Amino acid sequence: MTEEMIMDKMPTKKRMSKKTLDSIKAYLFLAPFLLLFATMVIYPIALSAKLSLYGQRGARMWYIGLQNFVTLFQDPKFWESFRIPLFLLTVQVPLMLFLALLIAFLYEKMEKHGGGIYRFIYYLPYTIPGIVTGIVWSYIFSDSMSPFRPVLDLLGFSGTKILTRPNLQLILLLITLWAFTGYTAFVIYSSLIAIPKAYSEQAQLDGATFWQIAFKIKMPFLRDVCLTLFIFNAIGAIQVFNEPWMLGKLIVLPSNYTPAMYIYNSAFAQGRFTYAAALGLILALLTFSFSLYILHRATKQMLTGESQLLP
Amino acid sequence: MRKPILTTFIMLLLAVYFIFPFYWLAIGTTKNVSQLFQKSLLPGVPNNFLENVRAIFTYQNGLFFQWLANSFLYAGLGALIAIFLACMAGYAFRRYDFYGKKLLFLLILGFAMVPVFATTLPLFMLFRDLKLLNTRLAVLLPSFVHVFSVYLMIAYWNQVPEEIFNAAQIDGANDLLIFFKIGLPNLIPGSITLFLLVFVGIWNNFFLPLVVINSRARMPLVLGITTITDPQGFPVYNLTLTSSFFTILPLLILFVLLQKHFKPQLYTGR
Repeated sequence: MTEEMIMDKMPTKKRMSKKTLDSIKAYLFLAPFLLLFATMVIYPIALSAKLSLYGQRGARMWYIGLQNFVTLFQDPKFWESFRIPLFLLTVQVPLMLFLALLIAFLYEKMEKHGGGIYRFIYYLPYTIPGIVTGIVWSYIFSDSMSPFRPVLDLLGFSGTKILTRPNLQLILLLITLWAFTGYTAFVIYSSLIAIPKAYSEQAQLDGATFWQIAFKIKMPFLRDVCLTLFIFNAIGAIQVFNEPWMLGKLIVLPSNYTPAMYIYNSAFAQGRFTYAAALGLILALLTFSFSLYILHRATKQMLTGESQLLP
Repeated sequence: MRKPILTTFIMLLLAVYFIFPFYWLAIGTTKNVSQLFQKSLLPGVPNNFLENVRAIFTYQNGLFFQWLANSFLYAGLGALIAIFLACMAGYAFRRYDFYGKKLLFLLILGFAMVPVFATTLPLFMLFRDLKLLNTRLAVLLPSFVHVFSVYLMIAYWNQVPEEIFNAAQIDGANDLLIFFKIGLPNLIPGSITLFLLVFVGIWNNFFLPLVVINSRARMPLVLGITTITDPQGFPVYNLTLTSSFFTILPLLILFVLLQKHFKPQLYTGR
């Protein structure tokens, strides 16, 4: 409902005063949240925006307009920091969605054969902290502790190291697939079982196979959920921090290995707070533009009173 | 229907991939450093599990238990208050037609996905000015705000039938009474799901405490366990692994016990 429609419905003075009263009550209920929301979310972003316009040396700051952003866009380290997010976005996320789709169909196939236990096991990695994921996997791939080391030695690769910079992308791929595929498959599966049975039953009668039904009939129903998942994962990809942070304890990584690490290191290793603030803003802006589709859908759902958003 | 053999085989293979790190972590807790360096896939012989547990529990006069208590404080209190505030905000959206409703909704939603990497740095400066840096409040205050919960709470409140509110109003109940006595009970199932989501989110949050907490006594588990070193400053792999094990144990227990609550509404949508 638009504002005008609401106004049209309540033209009299009496109704207006009810709206005023309602507004007072509403804002009383909203007050505690809004207060914290303003100080812990809005204010920091506003402060970031202000800081990003300042130059800094030590504790001294001075206004420099958009100079930080000019420097940023000419900073090769800034652009390089997107190498990992881009790799995750173009390789890991599509691969994971594809795997998760297959797994979701397999869940369906296994429904009467103990599929629940697989759903449970595959989901487990999602429940543990990224930092523990980072610790365990980085140890598993470290050359001093890796259980793969004896296997490689046996195959005659005793000279080749596992945990090296060139291998790191592949290792990150394995870690992120491990952490999020089960969750993703579960979300897709939840949408899958909500598809009315009538569609597939007719096709079954017509002699279609399980996979024909899966890809030709059920797939279109899963488009929305896959798109939403893609966006959430894209947002996750540009913010990756914990896993490389832990890997960085076993192998030397550049300060700009990911955008989030570049922000952290710029601020706390180099003390360039205003530059880091500008970086943070760019990251927030990127995240926001990625999430526009979800925001748009959520608003529509909210205004039409429909049920809620995915994940 | 016959048992699908190929499917079962694929599922088992994948299960190995997903289970393996848990298994490796579990056997890792039974080894000392030189046993870890032997790279075996079997538990350590002799089994050093109790030795590791004792070492962790007595590490720096029980620092581990302080981390554990901090994690429970941050995640428990943080989630409780975040959910309650979101619940109140959701009620306002459900019950009242107020000025700026649509604008506020867009504002809340627009900021639902602001990355912590953008807000934590300015929060660091804010807390520094307020002399809150390196206090527990510096972790708690941002944890009280879970924007996405507000959105979900609005959805939960929208599922409470209008008649319930109307009937209560006719009986002369005031708005506060309706919120606590009539509305809240309807929200309990959704709130449990949400509580778990937020609790696990705060428990697993590494970046915020990394930036705002200095003193090891105030760190949560996820941060504390990454700081375990011997007196010379070198990492102690077996202790890091054992403490990692105890960091995820509460989460796994929660997940197993409350499995049902991890599911509904949040993920299914339709």
